[in-house]
Amino acid sequence: MTAAPLQKRRPSDLERAQARAGYLFVLPTSVLYLTFVLAPVTLTVILSFSFYDPMLGSRWVGLENYTRFFSDPRSLQIFWNTLRFTFFAVTFNVSVGLLLAVALNRAMPAWLLYFFRLAFFLPVMIAIAFAAIVWSYFFADDLGVVNYYLRLFGLPGVRWLTDSSVAMTSIIIMDVWKNTGFFMIIFIAALQGVPKSLMEAAAMDGTPAWRRFFRITLPYISPVVFFAIVYASIGALQVYESIVILTQGGPGDATRSLSILIVEQGFGSFQIGYAAAISVVMTLVILAITALQQFLSRKWVHQ
Amino acid sequence: MSAFRTHAARRGIDWAIILVVGVLAIGMLLPFLWLFSMSFRPVSQAYQLPPSFLPPSLDPANYQAVLASRIPFLRIYANSLLIAGLVTIGQLVTCTLAAFAFARLRFRGRDTLFFILLVGLMFPAQVTILPIYLGYARVGLTNQPIGLALMYLTSSFGVFLMRQFMLSQPKALEEAALMDGAGYFKIFRRISLPQLRPALSALGIITFTQTWNYYFQARILLGREESMTLPVAMDVLRGYLGSGNLSLVMAAMSMSVLPVVLLFLFAQKFVIEGITMSGIKN
Repeated sequence: MTAAPLQKRRPSDLERAQARAGYLFVLPTSVLYLTFVLAPVTLTVILSFSFYDPMLGSRWVGLENYTRFFSDPRSLQIFWNTLRFTFFAVTFNVSVGLLLAVALNRAMPAWLLYFFRLAFFLPVMIAIAFAAIVWSYFFADDLGVVNYYLRLFGLPGVRWLTDSSVAMTSIIIMDVWKNTGFFMIIFIAALQGVPKSLMEAAAMDGTPAWRRFFRITLPYISPVVFFAIVYASIGALQVYESIVILTQGGPGDATRSLSILIVEQGFGSFQIGYAAAISVVMTLVILAITALQQFLSRKWVHQ
Repeated sequence: MSAFRTHAARRGIDWAIILVVGVLAIGMLLPFLWLFSMSFRPVSQAYQLPPSFLPPSLDPANYQAVLASRIPFLRIYANSLLIAGLVTIGQLVTCTLAAFAFARLRFRGRDTLFFILLVGLMFPAQVTILPIYLGYARVGLTNQPIGLALMYLTSSFGVFLMRQFMLSQPKALEEAALMDGAGYFKIFRRISLPQLRPALSALGIITFTQTWNYYFQARILLGREESMTLPVAMDVLRGYLGSGNLSLVMAAMSMSVLPVVLLFLFAQKFVIEGITMSGIKN
């Protein structure tokens, strides 16, 4: 690139200087990445095959931690909770975000757009922990804000956080409030890339709006939709503090997630190897989803 | 005539949709309004229904009570500022340097290295925290705010974002400087960095916010009260102050969300740009 015209005069010197600069520039990031990402991930994988005890010594246990995870009904229940949460949180975050983006993708005064971005994106900016504390009062049984309005309209109150069949839904509701604005923002940008001429031509031909959406808009923005789904899944699989603060994983284990189990096993019961195995399972799910996205987007996107 | 009517009808539909979204938008803001209004409500009326969404007065009594309580709130606030500040500066430096190399320089192993770095986007904190905790415990970095900051001095996301921005910039000036015999570091500092100002703002704001909000890592590494960050402390505070002191918790929360809300109010453009850049162009 930059060196091309100079290469004829002093090829090796310049190339070497450039390479030296390159290595120097990536050095800080590489060292930190090795120390705080690659090495710990490798160690976690090793730990997941061992029984770790700093006092009694550690030993290799092969797949024991994994068979324990996949044979214990409680951990399977928690795994299932996490997958269920992920599925619904991703579905609603992405589809509501897309719906909002389509709704806002029209001419409006600048101040109005600023207000909409503010309203929908502010929840994205604040800590989940802060949001969850506020929502815990919204979702409270007797003195809760939501139940107050339900009763005002003559509806029975809902035990949002204490009914085991409702608790997960409540956490998903909060999650969509918290995150959907992020997807709205990236979809608004994506929609602006859809060629106007194409849409106008289709409109002239009398193609109804919903069909224009499915035939033109959606295929056009599909790479962004794929990205959104993967990004949302990676986040949702790690769900932690919203559950810790809203329900502590309860009632029973109804809302307990993998992250909570990892902390409970790793830092509560000092089952380090077992906790490591659970975190490896979580990572493998993330890798699988990403690989699936790569595969599908190569197959479908921009046919 | 009919064309005019369809146009008018379409504007009508536009405004109807905007109205619906507007109502939703106000709904989105209700938790914030409630939080803010609660923080000004006398403790004795905290649980009074109907809920209030506008502060009854601007009496700072609850705020003073938080600062006077036995929780070292200011210390915790300082921890949060220290960690988020260090991480933001660290990432702005390390990510920009690396991004310059990946976008502008040619060296062996560059693309492999970049790929390995991108894989990092898929590793959740859960899969790195156990060894980091064990290592920190050995060298005495647990319960040290600096320990949490160290973990995040670089990020795959930051490198990726800055590289995207750099690739979208023309490199004619840099080439000219190279011809004039300028060193790479000089080119980076004098020519590339000034062009990157919007990107630096975007990454800075995103990183600050993200770090300010960390909970999982912070809860594990910073268990002792005086080393805590705000999100973790807020949960503890709720327990200490007791359920009767809802107003105090909300006053503490108002103060805790303030930096992030201000950042967003004044720099919305940069945040949105950064998010879009990372979302669209991958």
